[in-house]
Amino acid sequence: MTLAVTAVALLIGAVLGAIVAAAKLSGNRVLVFLGSVYTTIFRGVPELLIIYLIYFGGSSAVTAIGQAMGYEGFLGLPSFAAGALAVGIISGSYQAEVFRGAYLAVARGELEAASAIGMSRGLRFRRIIMPQVLRYALPGFGNVWQLSLKDSALISVTGLAELMRTSQVAAGSTRQYFLFFIVGGALYLILTSLSDQVFNRAERRANRSMPSAMGQV
Amino acid sequence: MPEVPRLSVRDIRKSFGAHEVLRGISLEARDGDVISVLGASGSGKSTFLRCINLLEVADSGEVWVDGEQIRMVQKGGRNRPASQKQVDHIRAELGMVFQSFNLWSHMTILQNVIEGPVHVLKRPRAECVEEAHALLKKVGIGDKANAYPAHLSGGQQQRAAIARALAMKPKLMLFDEPTSALDPELVGEVLRVMRALAEEGTTMLVVTHEMGFARNVSNRVAFMREGLVDSMGSPQEMFGAGASPAFRQFIGHFQA
Amino acid sequence: MDIEFLSSTMVTLLKALPVTLALFALSVSIGCVLALVIVWMRVGGNRYLAGFAKGYIFVFRGSPLLIQMFLVFYGLAQFDFIRNGPLWPLLREPFVCAVLSLALCTAGYSAEIFRGGIRSVPPREIEAARAIGMSGFLLVRRIIAPIALRFALPAYSTEVVLMMKSTSLASLVTVWEVTGVAQRLISHTYRTMEVFLCAAIIYLVLNFIVLQAMALLEHFLSRHLRAAPPAAKA
Repeated sequence: MTLAVTAVALLIGAVLGAIVAAAKLSGNRVLVFLGSVYTTIFRGVPELLIIYLIYFGGSSAVTAIGQAMGYEGFLGLPSFAAGALAVGIISGSYQAEVFRGAYLAVARGELEAASAIGMSRGLRFRRIIMPQVLRYALPGFGNVWQLSLKDSALISVTGLAELMRTSQVAAGSTRQYFLFFIVGGALYLILTSLSDQVFNRAERRANRSMPSAMGQV
Repeated sequence: MPEVPRLSVRDIRKSFGAHEVLRGISLEARDGDVISVLGASGSGKSTFLRCINLLEVADSGEVWVDGEQIRMVQKGGRNRPASQKQVDHIRAELGMVFQSFNLWSHMTILQNVIEGPVHVLKRPRAECVEEAHALLKKVGIGDKANAYPAHLSGGQQQRAAIARALAMKPKLMLFDEPTSALDPELVGEVLRVMRALAEEGTTMLVVTHEMGFARNVSNRVAFMREGLVDSMGSPQEMFGAGASPAFRQFIGHFQA
Repeated sequence: MDIEFLSSTMVTLLKALPVTLALFALSVSIGCVLALVIVWMRVGGNRYLAGFAKGYIFVFRGSPLLIQMFLVFYGLAQFDFIRNGPLWPLLREPFVCAVLSLALCTAGYSAEIFRGGIRSVPPREIEAARAIGMSGFLLVRRIIAPIALRFALPAYSTEVVLMMKSTSLASLVTVWEVTGVAQRLISHTYRTMEVFLCAAIIYLVLNFIVLQAMALLEHFLSRHLRAAPPAAKA
């Protein structure tokens, strides 16, 4: 469950992050402003508050829609959706910065070289920019994944039975708080260190074409 | 009673892995000596210099500074200094000037110069500041006291580094290729400072590629080759007819 | 927009501000000291201490802060020797537990940041210090620490902002700081958006202040990197 929430959240975050990064890079003043507002708010406000906003706010929105459609009574936003959305929005703000940094890291000269051999805008983006952005973004992406993995623990406040919530319930029912939280913590450690290794390997693969010294950036 | 040499190095040996860089070097510097150490790159000159103030620890051999031997012990199969305290105190008596200046980038030039006297020798600050200004004036950068190293040219940085070493009132100055990292037009200003020091009677050991300095300023020249002192003598002897064939070949490369 | 509701919410939330600030200030300062101890163990050369520090950093960076906080708050109370121990009057307090777990956690992150700073100190400048006879603590205090601090500062200011946000977790162990009060208001009034807005403004202002302070410090510590002053003072 923890992995599912994190994965979905990351996906949402990737889409949001890409859009926001594009907005911030667009040069259009309004879009740049909106993008900056997004990244400032969601990186500057506690995750917990954002989860409350999505969970409670989302629920009242759903209820309102339900009422408009003639449905009486309170409708809750499913915990999974609320959690994934909240963590996704947060990770989106971090990913936007990661993408932006990666885009800026692509050397100007290489773009000019691409236009010089007559690549169209779309082709240039697909063949030259994307592969490099992905490579530069990988370390940052790994950090965001770790961050989201740990943020996902906060979703337990909405009652979703992910790792944190499960340990909490188990701890509460058995009064063995220490044991269950230790086990829960250990599981997170395993998750984070495993994913760390996956990212390290991916990074090494992605950096095949880089001189080793630069690979350490 | 014979005069105690300022520096006496006996049979220093040093290997990096299987490669033996120093194969038994001995050298003595008396008060006022200016010794130029010449040699092709890779001959072990810099390593030798760094073994004197223990930035590298030799595998065997003795170093004496002003009659005091640096005590060594065998520990974990390696030769190590017996007392960090003694090492610190010996280093404080040896001024070192590096190839790449190595000024502390977060301090102004003045702070660089007074750092050692104030914090290592624990002398009163006001006195050190006064001396530092005099030293900076002496090396020709009296107006740069409050600048940071990054704001100075290479030649100015190296002169500041010389002032920093002098501020410790060392018994002996070690120069590790002090002009090799400089643009050609900046070499002269550093050499002039070094020459002035030599003329004041400062004892100096200079690893260098500057033939002019070796020939005209130093009173002795040592030529190192493959980890050994190949030959040594006064500049007249070394650059005269009686030079060793290897040294003649070496300086031939410079004239070519 | 209901200005009256907004302003009354703001007032309620601001009453909780001192708790948030106290959590923040205490945990950041304790965490910083702890981080220095850990980084000293990590790079000090003693194999066992380095191993311990490595393990500490791994555990506290690898698991969610919330679990660590629950472990301290609920978990410790389970042991009789702690309940009967001399520290129990302190450890019984949710506030103390929150500060303790926040500090332990940020120490792990900060230690790693400081280590990065130390690793970026140019070896040549250290060598120059050794050559004039510096070693041990003097070398660390005069040369290594100031340079490392400058390098570590950008990452550390990010960590401090994260800490400001992390104080919100204390609400989950019943410390009534800003987020906790906001959550209570939301569940009483169901006016999520307005309450969120007020709380968000508070945190954004706090983080803005923190970042400005850090930038000022960075500016102050970077004099040597800027262009030469227009007129050098004699």
